[in-house]
Amino acid sequence: MRLLPLDYAVRNLGRSPLRLAMSVVGAMLVALLVLTASAFVRGMERSLIGSGSLDNVVLLGAGSEESIERSEIKASVASQAAASIHGIRSQLGQAYVSPEVHMALPVTGAPDTTTSNQVLIRGISAAAYLVHPQVRIVDGRAPRQGADEIMLGRLAHTRMGLTEDAASVGRSLYFEDRAWKIVGRFDAPGTVMNAEIWTPLNDLMVAARRDTISCVVLTLGDAEFADVDAFAKTRLDLELTALPEADYYGQLVAFYTPVRMMIWLTAGLIALCGLFGGLNTMYAAFVSRVREIGMLQSLGYSRRAIAISFAQESLIAAACGTLIAAVAGMMLLDGLAVRISMGAFGLRMDTTTLMLGLGAGLLLGLIGALPPTVRCLRMPIPAALKAA
Amino acid sequence: MALIECRELTKEYRRGENVIRPLQELDLEVEAGAFLALMGPSGSGKTTLLNLIAGIDQPTRGELIIDGEDVGKLSRSRLAAWRADYIGYVFQLYNLVPVLTAYENVELPLLLHPIKRRERHERVATALELVGLADRHDHYPRQLSGGQEQRVAIARAIVADPRIIVADEPTGDLDKPAAHAIMNLLTRLNQELGKTMIMVTHDAHTAEYAARTLHLDKGRLVESGAHIAAGAAMEAAS
Repeated sequence: MRLLPLDYAVRNLGRSPLRLAMSVVGAMLVALLVLTASAFVRGMERSLIGSGSLDNVVLLGAGSEESIERSEIKASVASQAAASIHGIRSQLGQAYVSPEVHMALPVTGAPDTTTSNQVLIRGISAAAYLVHPQVRIVDGRAPRQGADEIMLGRLAHTRMGLTEDAASVGRSLYFEDRAWKIVGRFDAPGTVMNAEIWTPLNDLMVAARRDTISCVVLTLGDAEFADVDAFAKTRLDLELTALPEADYYGQLVAFYTPVRMMIWLTAGLIALCGLFGGLNTMYAAFVSRVREIGMLQSLGYSRRAIAISFAQESLIAAACGTLIAAVAGMMLLDGLAVRISMGAFGLRMDTTTLMLGLGAGLLLGLIGALPPTVRCLRMPIPAALKAA
Repeated sequence: MALIECRELTKEYRRGENVIRPLQELDLEVEAGAFLALMGPSGSGKTTLLNLIAGIDQPTRGELIIDGEDVGKLSRSRLAAWRADYIGYVFQLYNLVPVLTAYENVELPLLLHPIKRRERHERVATALELVGLADRHDHYPRQLSGGQEQRVAIARAIVADPRIIVADEPTGDLDKPAAHAIMNLLTRLNQELGKTMIMVTHDAHTAEYAARTLHLDKGRLVESGAHIAAGAAMEAAS
């Protein structure tokens, strides 16, 4: 089968600049929408899944498996676990056992501000840096105990609705009726910890007037999960449950499934509208060339050759829009902080997301061209040659 | 042996309950190298006959044998390939592709043949030379007059060296001088290149350029007349 030259498809795009603009913008919007939806879903999934280390096990209060914030266990659990479970990873005599308090508290940027946002405050000890190796201090230093100091994750200001400057090192934040000086910023790429505030465990317990901790996170060395689980199950007096950290965050991923479904559904519906818009545009473009289609057939071009040329034309327009969307997505969306109830995460423009966006845009171009092409080509050649 | 043979050629359309027969049991033979004009009132079936011979429509009944092949029985894809080999079509409204230059418009039929780029270039140049538009090869249709557009369309019709050129009211959209130039050109193609020419026209003066005129009415052949010579019309017109 002999095809029409690609030049024919390319130059046909220039016949109506308005129509071309509509096709390009339509494909761009659909691709951008799919890119955003995918970046959102994948960013959320990655931050949740990335938050849980495969080697970590969380000991938390029985019955609080769905939320560490609701968990309360004795502060002594950390030392008891370290002493009872053999094979916990250690380094230079320091066991990878991190007692932590997780509290969602309203935080403000000024003492007299009434509007606040709930932020997860994590009370930590030095062991927290061992069990959460993703955390890197990128500005300032770690907070010192007894000085009401805090350290902020890279996206914490987004979670609080503050500017980055308002949450920079040297400034103060307010929660639990006192001012907390920001002494450091940390980055924990692709984890929910990025949206948290970290402060020394004892300072938070004093401020919150609590004598219990939320959980103990420990990193397995030679030990297995079953060892930790056995500890939790045999120490009935401590009312503990053991969960692999990855499973805990896996539950959160499942919890957000309806949100992800809604996002895909919305993106799908809007993309469908875009498809109908594209169909209309391409139909208008092709129907105005019915006589030309008849002429090409009379020369000897097969219907398939003409259909391929029209598909090329539509695909080129869609590809332009899709590429613009991909570049815009990379420049504007990648890493963009999004606030949700559990914290904040960055939109993620990874290869899968880019492929999805590109695929959606090109599919729009292809599907958008097919029905109008079929309709125009179905016309008998003599009738097409008589068309106005 | 005739190049084109029509035997009881019939074309029917169904429009609801009604059956319309623009062509009814027509018998016709056209020799190779003939210049035939088809005349008749609107709805007489002349364009239908032209379209059948051009292979862009298929008969309902009867035989249409061109160069020994019953084209009425070819599949759609084979018919498309057959058209590329046998037919050059000249339209009343030129039907040039507006986004392609004169050169590229003429080149279109050649792209259907396995011809090297260099030979393609030579053949397009020759065709444009033949219609007197070699210097306008890079002009777009909008930059040409109606007569020039039709000459480009004629170059496109002959460039692949088809055996038959069909022309549907080739001068219908042109003023008298341009129409005269186009008819002279078609006559030259017939006489000098030996192309078989079949032309539909309403205009008796245009029909005089043809060596033979067929009159159709209600899908039937009603009269057939032969002119003395096509060259006579050329001389008379000039």
